[in-house]
Amino acid sequence: MSGLNDRVLGLGLLVLAVAYGWVAQQWPEPFGGSHGMGPETFPTILSVILIIGSLYLMVKPDQDTPWPWGKTALELLFSVIVLVIYALLLEPLGFVISTTLTVGALSWRMGAAPRSAFLTGLISAVVVYGLFNYGLSLSLPAGLLEFN
Amino acid sequence: METLGFLIDGFAVALTPYNLMYALFGAFVGTLIGCLPGLGPANGVAILIPLAFTLGLPPETSMILLTSVYAGAMYGGRISSILLNIPGDEPAMMTCLDGYPMAQKGRAADALAISAIASFSGGLIGTIGLIMLAPVLAKFALTFGPAEYFALFVLAFATLGGITGKNPMKTVIAAALGIMISTVGIDISTGTQRYTFGVLELYEGIDFILAIVGLFAISELLFFVESRLGSGHKKVNVGKLTLSFKELISTIPSQLRGGVLGFIAGVLPGAGASLGSFISYTLEKRAVGKKGNFGSGDIRGVVAPEAGNNGAASGALVPMLTLGVPGSGTTAVLLAMLISLNITPGPLMFTQNADIVWGVIAALLIGNVLLLLLNVPMIGVFVRLLSIPPMFLLPIVTMVAFVGIYSISNSTFDLYFMVAFGVAGYFLRKLEIPLVPIILGLLLGPEMEKNLGHALILSDGDWSTLWSSPLALGLWVVAGLGLALPVIVGPLLRRRMKSAMTENPVSD
Repeated sequence: MSGLNDRVLGLGLLVLAVAYGWVAQQWPEPFGGSHGMGPETFPTILSVILIIGSLYLMVKPDQDTPWPWGKTALELLFSVIVLVIYALLLEPLGFVISTTLTVGALSWRMGAAPRSAFLTGLISAVVVYGLFNYGLSLSLPAGLLEFN
Repeated sequence: METLGFLIDGFAVALTPYNLMYALFGAFVGTLIGCLPGLGPANGVAILIPLAFTLGLPPETSMILLTSVYAGAMYGGRISSILLNIPGDEPAMMTCLDGYPMAQKGRAADALAISAIASFSGGLIGTIGLIMLAPVLAKFALTFGPAEYFALFVLAFATLGGITGKNPMKTVIAAALGIMISTVGIDISTGTQRYTFGVLELYEGIDFILAIVGLFAISELLFFVESRLGSGHKKVNVGKLTLSFKELISTIPSQLRGGVLGFIAGVLPGAGASLGSFISYTLEKRAVGKKGNFGSGDIRGVVAPEAGNNGAASGALVPMLTLGVPGSGTTAVLLAMLISLNITPGPLMFTQNADIVWGVIAALLIGNVLLLLLNVPMIGVFVRLLSIPPMFLLPIVTMVAFVGIYSISNSTFDLYFMVAFGVAGYFLRKLEIPLVPIILGLLLGPEMEKNLGHALILSDGDWSTLWSSPLALGLWVVAGLGLALPVIVGPLLRRRMKSAMTENPVSD
């Protein structure tokens, strides 16, 4: 079926819009009553607009854009995982080590030779760390490289 | 002559060595952002916002820095258009048509030089237009009440898709999503917790800066990973400058026409720089007539669109500064900077923050001069940097985005959020949901709700107040047209733009 993308998107947005609107109706009336507009008024309007929009998408979907499958999808997943791990390890490992690994891994997967990829990572990490910690006196986490 | 006095004050702000240094830095970085593939102007400015923050720059310096980057990006876009036939950013698309053929004829240096000069005159004309028009519009906007503002915000969203926009319903959906995200957090007027689900980090709402950086920077990285464009381009030889003075003089009419048309296109809601350069190019072609050899390296075909897109860039600042409603992605990001500096954009800014507004305008004039100086003699540097492969560049840009977001709050929670926004941005772009309305929704959502609330309090809960004044009604009508026109005129215009591109096939 053509237009499957938009139909699925429309369905997802419809669920979101209804949930968003329903949550808004649960809030207690603010103290002193609402003069024309309570906390739920604006979200309710938005919810209605999004419901209309999502229904439209399901009825009149655009042509599908192709999705990446197979290897490319794995590469994408890999990149996202690398970024999450970067956020996870930034403080424990410190900026320089985690950045070298992240920039290196990403460059490598984007097609650079491993050696130059990780070298780029190391250089950019050291430069940015030096710039921030000494030039601008903003501290990035030193992590394992910290000496007290 | 009041304006002149303000402008002189503005120069006093912009010409301090400290601000001048940041203007120069911004102009350089901006040109770089414009010419490097994979780093659009909106994306580039967004990444710099957290850095401007953590550096603790004063508001006028931050704005001068970002405005210079913005102006610089418009200059930079032409470099890869001319040398590689790949527009560095969208408005530079039309420059490919005659710029690349010129480069192939061995006149790359001339094309780069003349386009820098055209960019300068376009930027200058646009900035002069901005100086004349902005105070008038700001004064007019002072008569707006909350109902008019609410209608104006709706208009901004309705026209954001642009006349060439594809599916206006997707713009509406994107705007609704953006505004919905902005409602997360504690409601300002009643103190109700909305959509926080008890998560402490959500009480203050979702920081739009991390949303913007995530949506733009991270999704861009993912797009490059998908399309495997990592390897970059061969180094290009620019050759010698052979541009004669006579030739330069002969292009002056094209520069003036392009700049003025571009400025007008920039001011109009929903048109923007891309349309500015398109209109300038097509009208130039018509004005010159059969005497020109457009499409095969006519110098005026380089001059007109470049003057056009730089004129439009300054023009697009008019609605952003005077009304607080940006008309393009990059000006939306500039607005984000203003809001996070605690400056309320809109007409009052011209009286309450006159030093910032006029400092920025003066910086735009100075920035154009700096850019011309940077772009003519130093073109070789940019050309060399153009050959940096994205496979090294994009991971580093992503890292800088992480550093910026991390240094705002020193919390890794924000980083996860940013990655989540990036993944969402990737999917939305795949589904052709435009990102700019989402960002505008994030920025304008709270203001919209506030104005709606004020309007309803003033009218004692009567909703018809929203369209009772003629001005408000007019704004609603234009907003309606903004949504309806793309459906009617859009396909026609898009076909024309496409046929203009294929009519002049660039021979390899």
